[in-house]
Amino acid sequence: MPREIISIQMGQCGNQIGMEFWKQLCAEHGINPEGILEDYATEGMDRKDVFFYQADDEHYIPRAVLLDLEPRVINGIMNSSYGKLFNPENIYMSKDGGGAGNNWAQGYHSGERLYEEVFDIIDREADGSDSLEGFVLCHSIAGGTGSGMGSYMLEKLNDRFPKKLIQTYSVFPSHDEISDVVVQPYNSLLTMKRLTQFADCVVVLDNTALHKIACERLHLENPTFQQVNQLVSTVMSVSTATLRYPGYMHNDLISLIASLIPTPRLHFLMTGYTPLTTDSQVASTVRKTTVLDVMRRLLQPQNMMVSTPVHRHAQHCYISILNIIQGEVDPTQVHKSLQRIRERKLAQFIPWGPAGIQVALSRKSPYVQSAHKVNGLMLANHTSISALFERCVQQYDKLRKREAFLDQFRKTEMFKDSLDEFDDSREVLAQLIDEYDKATKPDYINWCSQQASPS
Amino acid sequence: MNHGSQEFRLHHHVNQLMSQLGASSAEGPGVYVDLLQRNMTPYISTQITAHRAKKKIAESSKTPVEFLQKYDELKSRNVRDLDSLTNLLSLIAEDEQHFGASLTPATSMIGQLPATGSKITSDELEKIKAELMKNTKQTSSAMSAETQSKSLKEKQSRNMNLPVQPDWLFQRPFLTMDFVEEKELFDPNVTPAGSLLIQQQESMVIDDLLCCMEGVEGQYIQAVSHSDRYSQKEFKVDESLDPALRELVRRILPISANYSLVVRFIEEKSAFEYGLNYTVLVAQLENQFRVGHLSLQKFWFYLQPMMSMMEILASIARSINKGECIGGAVLSLLHEKTSSLIGDNKGQELCLFLTQAACVPYFEILERWIYKGLIVDPYSEFLVEENSVVGKEKLQEDYNDSYPFGMHYTICRERVPVFLETVAQKILSTGKYLNVVRQCGRNVQCPNAEEMIYTIKERDYFEHIERAYTYASQLLLELLIKEKELMSRLRSVKHYFLLDHGDFIVQFMDMADEEMAKTMDEIMPQRLESLLELALRTSTANADPFKDDLKVDLLGYDLVTMLFKVLSIETKLEKDFHVDPTDLHLSGLEAFTFDYIVKWPVSLVLNRKSLIRYQMLFRHLFYCKHVERQLCNVWITNKSSKIFKLQSAYTSGYALRQRMLNFVLNFQYYMMVEVIEPNWVLFENNLQSVSTIDDVLANHSDFLNNCLKDCMLTDPELLRIVHKLMMVCVTFSNFIQLTKMSSLQGSVKGRKDDPLKKETATKVVQEHLDQIASSHKLEGTIATFDSNFRRLLVDLLNKIVERASGCDLKLLNILYRLDFNHFYDSQLESVSAERSTQESRAEHEQRKYQDHDAHDAR
Repeated sequence: MPREIISIQMGQCGNQIGMEFWKQLCAEHGINPEGILEDYATEGMDRKDVFFYQADDEHYIPRAVLLDLEPRVINGIMNSSYGKLFNPENIYMSKDGGGAGNNWAQGYHSGERLYEEVFDIIDREADGSDSLEGFVLCHSIAGGTGSGMGSYMLEKLNDRFPKKLIQTYSVFPSHDEISDVVVQPYNSLLTMKRLTQFADCVVVLDNTALHKIACERLHLENPTFQQVNQLVSTVMSVSTATLRYPGYMHNDLISLIASLIPTPRLHFLMTGYTPLTTDSQVASTVRKTTVLDVMRRLLQPQNMMVSTPVHRHAQHCYISILNIIQGEVDPTQVHKSLQRIRERKLAQFIPWGPAGIQVALSRKSPYVQSAHKVNGLMLANHTSISALFERCVQQYDKLRKREAFLDQFRKTEMFKDSLDEFDDSREVLAQLIDEYDKATKPDYINWCSQQASPS
Repeated sequence: MNHGSQEFRLHHHVNQLMSQLGASSAEGPGVYVDLLQRNMTPYISTQITAHRAKKKIAESSKTPVEFLQKYDELKSRNVRDLDSLTNLLSLIAEDEQHFGASLTPATSMIGQLPATGSKITSDELEKIKAELMKNTKQTSSAMSAETQSKSLKEKQSRNMNLPVQPDWLFQRPFLTMDFVEEKELFDPNVTPAGSLLIQQQESMVIDDLLCCMEGVEGQYIQAVSHSDRYSQKEFKVDESLDPALRELVRRILPISANYSLVVRFIEEKSAFEYGLNYTVLVAQLENQFRVGHLSLQKFWFYLQPMMSMMEILASIARSINKGECIGGAVLSLLHEKTSSLIGDNKGQELCLFLTQAACVPYFEILERWIYKGLIVDPYSEFLVEENSVVGKEKLQEDYNDSYPFGMHYTICRERVPVFLETVAQKILSTGKYLNVVRQCGRNVQCPNAEEMIYTIKERDYFEHIERAYTYASQLLLELLIKEKELMSRLRSVKHYFLLDHGDFIVQFMDMADEEMAKTMDEIMPQRLESLLELALRTSTANADPFKDDLKVDLLGYDLVTMLFKVLSIETKLEKDFHVDPTDLHLSGLEAFTFDYIVKWPVSLVLNRKSLIRYQMLFRHLFYCKHVERQLCNVWITNKSSKIFKLQSAYTSGYALRQRMLNFVLNFQYYMMVEVIEPNWVLFENNLQSVSTIDDVLANHSDFLNNCLKDCMLTDPELLRIVHKLMMVCVTFSNFIQLTKMSSLQGSVKGRKDDPLKKETATKVVQEHLDQIASSHKLEGTIATFDSNFRRLLVDLLNKIVERASGCDLKLLNILYRLDFNHFYDSQLESVSAERSTQESRAEHEQRKYQDHDAHDAR
């Protein structure tokens, strides 16, 4: 009876990063693409059953649900070597392949329409686990399926499983290159509302930053989707490492999340990872990694997978940090590093409560070779994430002012009569930005109370 | 008892004594404790200090002569610990002079000291000392002294269950090689010597002398009977003998006197009680006696070397008699004699021979012990004593035994021959180890078991002992580590008691939540047991081969009480913190602990005492985990509120919950990652290089003690605060859960009534929340929780800072973790500022007073 986690991947992007994640998990647990345990995977000190379950013939099946409104990506998966890994009953794609047309509303209504079928799958998975802890959602907020159908799923999951945790890995669109999805600002805004209200924890994966990291840190000229997605899968696998390789602490999802998120709405997390290398580079760039190195580098903005404006507001600060350090680590080294960071004030924290760098020490998979002795992932709740949302609002406002592309939305049920949903979403997001801003002030708690009391 | 508690006891005793004496001695109790401790480590007090002490006592005593006599007597009896006792007495005497009390009882006490055979261990010494002090105070020495000596005598007679020689054995008049005790005087039929020729006289006398030397009275030389069995024989020589001859005879006679003594000695001691092989000695003697020849002069000439030898023999016999030595003590005596005769070649040879002969049976026992781990010692001569009361099973039961492994066999110091003194400990351990191995059903075959012979050079048999020791310790260590997989055992214990594989405990808590919430009496242990088994099989613990040894246990007291219980073994704290068991309604959670079945011989290391310590750590960590889970549950309940615009009826609650969670997590992190894990790594590394099982034990107990100390489990004051903090957290969680429940019930009802009108349902909830928010009751309650928590936490941090002032304390890490962003700085500062202003104010007042006084004086 582990604390099981069901992962749901939606849309093109969600399925792509989800696939990379499963590849990574299989490698780490010594499970081959068919779900069969490799001969060398004899060490029984890992927990495969958080993310996998065993079929009657002992082979491992991921607790994964794959959804898409077009068949291309999922067909790709099914035709790959991992095609037999997943339970075919857990895959839903509309055969006609229409997709959501990159339209949030279309995706949302498709969700409504497919509600029964999709939740049959999810309910079955939930019933199959003894003490389900929550769901992990992989999607992007810009497209149609991941954002629209994802939003609908968020609402429904929250409704059906109010006590379960819902964590999302949400890919935010690139902002400096022209997107092929013109209505991206609309989609993002509408999804953001659901992420704020219905998700318990959102790990923000900013495509801008991911590409930048791929170019600058990994020195790739034209990073492929797969290379970028590998970054994402690394983040996902390390952030679940303490669940899969149990240690003293952080052995369930809630203990990871609860300390990071003090107030319910401020639940958008940034990630950072170091050291970053690609397979081909390993030989040339092996550096000496110490705990202090790793922890210091994790605090550097260029390693963050969220791009916030360089001219940082002075007052922006960390609400909380959790560093997951993997490898052979001497705890006294951790203590020394923390002392150093504290003395040199390398990180600014909120003034309204106790906050600090939590450290979770985790084992590494014995089956995946790594050139580095120590690596680290940072999950951080930082107020500057609001800059990303501001950008969202700004882009929306630009489009909305021009009343551009609204026709696609007006055709749908939700926007048939009015565009109130847009305004409502904008307000929710504005409030969120405001709250992040206030969280940098000492009187944040009082501000919250004032907001609450009717004035 | 381990060293620490002994030290404590000492302090206690001395303090009591001091107070009884009303002493305000300049040295304070510390000196005495110091002295006593030094005395307890044997052989530190040197001859010189003893001498000085002796003199000092004599000076202060009213009856110095008696005292000195007594001292010499005791000394000659080879009483162990005499020196240290005198030392002590002299120090007391020094003090006595201040009080003007009489020391007579003290000296008389020395008189009461028993003969050598008894054991005067350091403990008894202490007791005697205590008694002494009391006596000097009360001067009613007679009574207590009596009881004192009685108790000592009882001790002495403990080993006397051997067959006793019947009295007639001593009285049988002719059954001896010694002179027969006859009352008749010279045979009247014998011609008086004087009437014979000189030559005749001479040959007669030689004849007589030869007779005498073999224990038969002659015609002209007769033994004078005497009452004391051990005194020197005297002889009567026919008065009429030629004076020149008589003179010669007089000179020769002591040899036969000595012979008589030796013979008597041999006869008596060859009885059961004295197992040593003295007959060898007789053979030697008789050989020597064949030497006697012809003329009296020649006789004298030949006898001269013999004379000295006989003298040595007799003196040995005498002192053995006097001291009533047996076993080791005899050997010590012989050894000393041998060493003291360095100059006298022949004498030394003789003594060496004697010692060697005497050592044979002793060394046989020794060989058996160090090569096989067995004791065959019917006469209790051997230096190692078996304490059969402390059985194998005992190791699991009584946890007050600090070191049960060590209790089974002990060194009996009186029986240690001087020449084995330095290796006595090694001998003990060697046999002990082998004994354990034997008990595990393995045959012990020491590869280099060689016969040991006594020589004056100690190195030879030391080497044997050393080799045996190395073999034994390696054998046992190998047995434990390889065959019994000690390391994986310890690791498995660590998994469960120190929660190093958290998934197991999370799983177990998930399943047992319901059961644990009940009170202790309602819980069915079998149910918990089966839940535990399920958790074990479905978590990573499944890979542990020893998982079946884990059991659940419910203890009738909570952790704090447990701590005091354990502490009170060494102190008297328990009384102060005694908790009436009827007051406690322990929930399963507080009463719960794991237990672990340990089998011999792993129980040597994982004995009850260390398991208790593991349990304490476990309960501490377990409760922290529980609190963390409760707070996480609050988090989950809170999460739904983000849908509503109103998010902050609970905002102050969020903030408080966050602070609590922050505390609990950091506290856990500190204990697990910063205390337990590094200590464990250190322990594991140390175990790589240990060579004996005693080292393993010492390292293990260090590991546990360090963990306990740094987890505040040795500091009742801190633990109380931590415990209270946890209680606040738990009550807070319960409170929030309850209020939330009622509000959720409202929403569920609304939804059920009309599932389509979800909007209105949320509105209902919202109204409900508004209601709660507006009610000052909720905010007030949260504020109370808040202030309680804050107060306790600041208190805790302050206490930690206080304790850490000046030294580098690990506890300080908690402060750094909790106060990473200096959030608590200001509060701590304000407290310390308050204190310093108070202090400065007090100082100021005082100065004002002083000024005032000075002014007045002027």
